Amino acid sequence: MLVTGTRKRPLGRTIVHVAVVLALAFGVLAGAGGYWAVVRSSDLSQSPYDPAVIAASRRVPRGDIIDRDGNVLTHNEKDANGELYRSYSGDEISHVVGYASPRYGRVGLELAYDAELSGLAGDPLADALRKFGTNPYDPKDLHLSMSWDLQRASVSALGSHRGAVVMLDPRNGEVLALASTPTYDASAITNPATADRAFQSLRDDAAQPLLPRATLGRYVPGSVFKIVTAIAGLGSRAITPDTTYKEQPPAEKDGLLVEGFRIRDGHHPQTGDALLDLTSATEVSCNIWYALTGLETGGEQLVAYADRLGFGSSIPFDLPTAPSQVTNESGSAPGGFVDDVELANAAYGQGETFVTPFQMALVASTIANGGDLMKPRIVTSISGRNGSRQIGPSPMAHVLAPNDAAAINRAMVRAVEGPLGRQFTTGAKVPGVTTAGKSGTAELGGRGEPHSWFIGFAPAESPTVAIAVLVEQAGRGAEVAAPIAGRLLAKALETQR
Amino acid sequence: MTGASRPAAPRPVELPRILGDIHPRPRWTETRLLLVVAVALVVGSISLGAGLTGRLAPYEPTLLVIYLVTLAGAHVANVLAGRRSDEVLLPVVGLLGGISLLLMQRLPQDLVTIDVAGSTLGLGAVQLIWLVLAIIVATTLGIVVRSDSWLRQYKYTWAAAGIALLLLTFVFGTDVAGQRLSLRIGPFAGQPSELLKVILVVFLAGYLSENRSLLIEQDTRIGPIRLPPLPYLAPMVAMWAIALLIVVVQRDLGAALLFFAVFLALVYAATGRISLVVIGAILFFAGSALMANIFPHVRDRIDIWLDPFADPLGSGYQVVQSLLAFARGGLIGVGLGEGLPTVGGRPPIPEVHTDFPLAALGEELGLVGVIAILGLFFVVIERGLRIGAAAADDFRAILATGLALVVGVQAFIIAAGNLKVLPLTGVTLPFVSYGGSSLLVNAIVVGLLLALSDRGVEPPPPPSGVRRWRDRLRPRRAR
Repeated sequence: MLVTGTRKRPLGRTIVHVAVVLALAFGVLAGAGGYWAVVRSSDLSQSPYDPAVIAASRRVPRGDIIDRDGNVLTHNEKDANGELYRSYSGDEISHVVGYASPRYGRVGLELAYDAELSGLAGDPLADALRKFGTNPYDPKDLHLSMSWDLQRASVSALGSHRGAVVMLDPRNGEVLALASTPTYDASAITNPATADRAFQSLRDDAAQPLLPRATLGRYVPGSVFKIVTAIAGLGSRAITPDTTYKEQPPAEKDGLLVEGFRIRDGHHPQTGDALLDLTSATEVSCNIWYALTGLETGGEQLVAYADRLGFGSSIPFDLPTAPSQVTNESGSAPGGFVDDVELANAAYGQGETFVTPFQMALVASTIANGGDLMKPRIVTSISGRNGSRQIGPSPMAHVLAPNDAAAINRAMVRAVEGPLGRQFTTGAKVPGVTTAGKSGTAELGGRGEPHSWFIGFAPAESPTVAIAVLVEQAGRGAEVAAPIAGRLLAKALETQR
Repeated sequence: MTGASRPAAPRPVELPRILGDIHPRPRWTETRLLLVVAVALVVGSISLGAGLTGRLAPYEPTLLVIYLVTLAGAHVANVLAGRRSDEVLLPVVGLLGGISLLLMQRLPQDLVTIDVAGSTLGLGAVQLIWLVLAIIVATTLGIVVRSDSWLRQYKYTWAAAGIALLLLTFVFGTDVAGQRLSLRIGPFAGQPSELLKVILVVFLAGYLSENRSLLIEQDTRIGPIRLPPLPYLAPMVAMWAIALLIVVVQRDLGAALLFFAVFLALVYAATGRISLVVIGAILFFAGSALMANIFPHVRDRIDIWLDPFADPLGSGYQVVQSLLAFARGGLIGVGLGEGLPTVGGRPPIPEVHTDFPLAALGEELGLVGVIAILGLFFVVIERGLRIGAAAADDFRAILATGLALVVGVQAFIIAAGNLKVLPLTGVTLPFVSYGGSSLLVNAIVVGLLLALSDRGVEPPPPPSGVRRWRDRLRPRRAR
């Protein structure tokens, strides 16, 4: 058409060439369009940089997070732009539920289950039909084992202290309460009107309210670690429940000399020169007996049994956890200890030992469940439009033979209910219920008051609640942590009844 | 002059003399195509309304009605004027402009606001004003221009004006986002490089048509390579220097690429010598490589082009967001008004209304829509080249070809930037992007093409004396 016979012009031919080149160039563009719009469409559409993905998170209401009694803990509110933001039922749950803020990201369960809560969790069919549907996203609800009631009780029991409470059901690993103080108002971070100010002040707060102490705080355990030593000693057959040490009575007065270092005992003059066994040593929290047990067991076995309990790496859980350690493994002695002095100190919780309250709750839970540690979990089911998915109980580790666990159980009952034990664990006893436990006073090497610890469970015959309580720099375990634990155990048992 | 395009003028007898007598002439192809365009745009507006408001009704129909009435007016003016000009250009450009109007209505209106007489006009209304002005300009030029002598005779004046414009921009231009693109004269701000491209084509048409036979037939031999006479390569070197200067001073890679590509294409169209194109391309790439080594902003553009996903939230953000928009659109798109998810009330792609209209349309109309829009641009190119091939003499042929190329190559450059085929540059998508200078200059292009296509225009002047003298020395090949 461009070149007609009689009107043929010299320019016509070259113009046709130009037209052909441009046609090819536009063909390349169409090809590139096809590449991006069709070939790469599905994988690019899930890109985290895609504003559709980001916008959906603001337009589609996130799923609910619901406690074990059916209380809905999360709410979706609308801001001035009509975009949704989260608010939460209370400060007490902030360290569990966390927050989902467009500006400050996600934390806690809001982060761990972001895909489910936002409804973007991969469903290829839904993705393909997304553009045709009116509500193509399927946000899922999380059902927790946590009880808001117990959680509130835990936070208020800690009061103005910095500390943590972990309660779980030893039979199935369900976490009943996971409290850390101080806590914070997560709704202030998610509300666009207050977000910047709230986040700044929380981040600058010296009390570190944003730190979930229960799962990420690492503390010197003190005497509550003795339960780990007992597990390792009995489990490795280094000791029996009846083991006594003839070095122990004389050392009560002058201390036990280990490689030139003198380990002194706490204050239990009541036992005098008596030879102590597992039960009586636990009742009075005898450092000498446990140091000797640690040396008898050896570093390698102590660390090995601690690892079975979850030490040495992050505990598999819905929320991130800090790894607990028996030793910092800087030495070349078995297990990574520097020498026997460090091992002996670690055996009663004063070496290079650092633990999370969550880890210590698992230790108590292991004894309570007859030596079998159940995998801890706080989300028990996820429900959506198309039904729900249960996250069932599953074992985490077989740590100890049932009869060995029973021996430690008996010793821990004596530590709470025995005539001498009572003085170390005042207030831990749940009235009318056999209560087992162990207090701890973690010395910080002269830097202020010791951390106050308690771990335990009840009823001792068939435990349904295990607990760990830590109160930072609050003094002796008997004075602060034990009464908190007693009250909370009583409340937990009451709600279970 | 604009009065000529007013279709409503009821007393044709009183129209200005320059139009001569009124001999209305039906343009049925244009009528039918415009009806198709009107139906398509109304359907688009209803689709947009469904997407934005949920009701099956046109979205803010006043703007579209004004636009369609303007198109109809342009058609009536063409009919009344009795011109035998191209009947496809107006409907095709009208459809592109209508798509632009729908897109600008659909984007956040506060991207551009102008206060007029106490009321604030948003993006859609402002774009409509420019579109209406553009249609008036194109139609007026198409009807009024009956002679090309004002372009033909003053080619060096035009070239001087162009260079002056360029220098003015270099010196007085305002920097926007690191590019010195816009020139402000009083209350008016515009992008001179838009106008410059037309001036360039006019100059090249004059220069190449005058020296065409020399460039074709004389050779300078350097070894086995046969080149045109060296003095006649001077403009080519000058063009190359100007293009690089634009890159250096204005940091406007897109304009430089556009000028040079159009220049090479016209040199080829006029001479048929592929060697010139190859040499020019080598010069351009060598210059670009040199620029990339010397100037970090050029290097950055190329790095972003090679891998925008290396920094998807930083330097690569625009391109990544553009590609994600195409991906969301898929084959058939998400529908007008349904795409472009806003985050915090802002559109996902920065400068979507000027630099990325194709990506926005790619999301909402899908690959089908992108190919349709590319097809519309190719129709504009094809009509322009057809006008060139059918032109009465070399000047008009090269002019029409060049005018078609400035639109087509510019559309290609920005579409290619959106699709990661070329590095992203800041040129507009003709007829679609928001922007007064872009729309008006492209309207001038369309108007000139309409005028050139009219078989009724004044015949070209006979070959000039100089040319006859040259031809006597070395007779031209028979036509």
